[in-house]
Amino acid sequence: MTEPLLRVIDLKTHFRTKASWMFGEKQLIKAVDGVSFDIAPGEVLSLVGESGCGKSTVGRTLTHLEQATSGRALFEGRDFLVMSPNEFRPLRREIQMIFQDPFASLNPRLKIEQTLGEPLFIHGLCKTWDEARAKIAVMLETVGMDPLVMKRHPHEFSGGQRQRIGIARVMILKPKLVIADEAVSALDVSIQAQVLNLLKKLQQDSGVSMLFISHDLGVVRHISDQVAVMHEGKIVEIGRKRQIFEAPQHEYTRKLLESIPRVKIGKEVA
Amino acid sequence: MNTLIFFQTAFAGRRLATLGFLWLVMITVAALAAPLIAPFDPLEIDPVGRLAEPGWPNLFGTDHFGRDTFSRAVYGARMTVIIGTGSVAVALLAGGLIGMISAYFTRLGHFLMRCVDVLMAFPALLMALALITLLERSVFNTILVIGIVYATTTARILYGMTLKLRGEVFVDAAVCSGAGHFSILFRHILPNLVSPLLVQASFIFAFAQLQAAALDFLGLGLPPEVPSWGNMLSEERIYVTRAPWLLIYPGMLIVLSVFSMNLVGDALRDSIDPRFKDDIAGV
Amino acid sequence: MALLEVQDLEIAVRTKGKLLPVVQGVSFDVDDNETLGIVGESGCGKSLTALAIMGLLGGTTVRITGGNIRFDGMDLLTLSDGERRSIMGNRMAMIFQEPMTSLNPVYRIGDQIIENIRQHQKMTNAQARDRAVELLSLVRIPNPSERVDSFPHQMSGGQRQRVMIAMALSCDPKLLIADEPTTALDVTVQKEVLDLMADLQTRMGTAIVLISHDLGVISETCDKVAVMYRGRVVEAAATENLFAELAHPYTRGLLNSIPVVDSDVDWLEAIPGRVPTLEEELTGCAFHPRCALVTKLCATSVPQETEYKPGHSVRCHFSGKVAP
Repeated sequence: MTEPLLRVIDLKTHFRTKASWMFGEKQLIKAVDGVSFDIAPGEVLSLVGESGCGKSTVGRTLTHLEQATSGRALFEGRDFLVMSPNEFRPLRREIQMIFQDPFASLNPRLKIEQTLGEPLFIHGLCKTWDEARAKIAVMLETVGMDPLVMKRHPHEFSGGQRQRIGIARVMILKPKLVIADEAVSALDVSIQAQVLNLLKKLQQDSGVSMLFISHDLGVVRHISDQVAVMHEGKIVEIGRKRQIFEAPQHEYTRKLLESIPRVKIGKEVA
Repeated sequence: MNTLIFFQTAFAGRRLATLGFLWLVMITVAALAAPLIAPFDPLEIDPVGRLAEPGWPNLFGTDHFGRDTFSRAVYGARMTVIIGTGSVAVALLAGGLIGMISAYFTRLGHFLMRCVDVLMAFPALLMALALITLLERSVFNTILVIGIVYATTTARILYGMTLKLRGEVFVDAAVCSGAGHFSILFRHILPNLVSPLLVQASFIFAFAQLQAAALDFLGLGLPPEVPSWGNMLSEERIYVTRAPWLLIYPGMLIVLSVFSMNLVGDALRDSIDPRFKDDIAGV
Repeated sequence: MALLEVQDLEIAVRTKGKLLPVVQGVSFDVDDNETLGIVGESGCGKSLTALAIMGLLGGTTVRITGGNIRFDGMDLLTLSDGERRSIMGNRMAMIFQEPMTSLNPVYRIGDQIIENIRQHQKMTNAQARDRAVELLSLVRIPNPSERVDSFPHQMSGGQRQRVMIAMALSCDPKLLIADEPTTALDVTVQKEVLDLMADLQTRMGTAIVLISHDLGVISETCDKVAVMYRGRVVEAAATENLFAELAHPYTRGLLNSIPVVDSDVDWLEAIPGRVPTLEEELTGCAFHPRCALVTKLCATSVPQETEYKPGHSVRCHFSGKVAP
């Protein structure tokens, strides 16, 4: 049994809503309420569920974008939820995040090379801009873009191209764990297929582990090794992909699978 | 490059705003080249030629010391530009920093913004008066006081904008790539605030003129010997019946300049206001 | 004569002084009790087509430049504003994608439905209110007599979309246009809303135009389908005929791009390239830069609509010649 790269134990993230203007009390929202899972090196685990089930909050908590209420998350055996921002900074290189909206996740005022280059300098992966540009060029080619685009601004690119750039920004740091939060949901179907293929190929080639957060069961089936189904802040079912899709145990999983509209191919009435 | 395009779109099809912009360019040129343009020394006293009517060689006439009003007006343009730029710089630096830092470090921010709220509760002129009485009359102090007064509104505006930008995904992305606080505030957030800052600057520039003229008029602004439009109004006001041109020319200059700055500010604001953006995305 | 007939519809967008065509020669018709699905990716012109039918393309930037739209024998493009208003929301209604923004947050949902009813029908406030409660129960809102006094923010996304449907149905429209009505909803809620729409159609005989990017939704709910790409209908047929034999390479590519839940594939057969932007000028078939079957002919001449099989039309020089 190999040591998991990421082990999440009973993770809870609760939010307190603001009290309304005059009446009402503060409410406690249990966005994530006791979630546990392991991700082995080189494995893809998908968190799937409907909006508000807490799947995105799991990802945001694991990248310190939200504060965990309780629970532990061990990365290579070290609990990083209790780390201070400064202690966590070196780990940020190894735990990277791909965001959903390719239009919002790139700073409109920065050139592509600035967006991609900055993390390289922060983490001391290169010393000069020449070095950085060489790395950026290679990375852009890997994600299927012309290296010349590094001189341009985000608004010059389509959604699919921006998401490729977003993936390049993450992969250029050679992380060990990538958290992809609805990474292909905002894309058109034909572009989504391209980006999904790219993600899968990069994952297989680099052996990076991935926490893939999505509401789309088709996409999840395509990319995952393991699947965890979330509902109201809890994981209701977790298992190998084949088991979840072909022999779902939990009622909610079955309901999800039944609800998906399917294309009926071929002539049924001959 | 981007800023140039921004300017082009801002003034496209706005004739009045373009005229205002040209007027401001003229004022700036006059300010820079004042010694070349002004025919006389603005401080030179001529007891014989007091209160001369507009004509040749005194285009705008002379004041009660016999000083050439046109030359004083040209040098006054210089004061206008200095006061405006200085106040804008103080207001944007102080207010901008307070606003951005308050939005970013929320706990400190709550405290700072409450202080700003208290300061904003005073009318601008009253606050300027209160501050100026603590200081000597000098160009620098006038700039400082006006800058501080408008730093409060700037802080409020930048606080809101930074708060909004802080929630943007690209800021989260920068956090995730390990960027520190300084880098996030100044490399990722600040460049997105450039155009709203520009708009804010143009309005402060305009208000600073009025504010400075008011202080001058009350005898609390620039030292009396400095030729500024406000001082000219203030010193010559008792001659309004005998030599009305002494008030008409500087008065008109103030009105025209402030009006122009407001027009320019409006044009810039409209061009960043998303409501006016013609967006055909999502067809 | 069909209830809604769209013929050679042309829509253009004015940007930077140029008039760019965004919808070109789109024709289709919809009958009572029939659901037409319009499917395509963003920028294909499907939403603009819907807005054109509803007469919502006001303003100077986007305008109809050709063709005609006939509803129940009337030419919609030549109607006066008054005539149009009496039809809209009454005999023709629309549901939008965003259930969060299409209800006014400051009014109770009941009041919004009542206003819509009373605009078109002579009813007292009490009658209209009873009708609103009835409609809410029709769209399966629990406790309709209490929920009628709720504000939009007190309801979930799915419930809001049902309220929108209730409002659209308030005057028994003959035609319902639904622009991505379930895109913002979760799959389980999507299924409920789609089932509801189908159920209402069988009960009231409404004609529906359903606009979606999701081939699954289209396949499950529509009687016939029009596939749009960059402003043109590239393939149209009865739903089962279309999915039995996809004749246009774009439709095939679109279908192959979807990762399915019922089987495993290693790699998706993605369509290469990207959807061309409006500014890009294209000669010949708009799909040719991305098409696997492309020849010189495709780059120079626009393929005409041809009959691939009876009732199955396609715009491709090589329709169905190469197996997928």
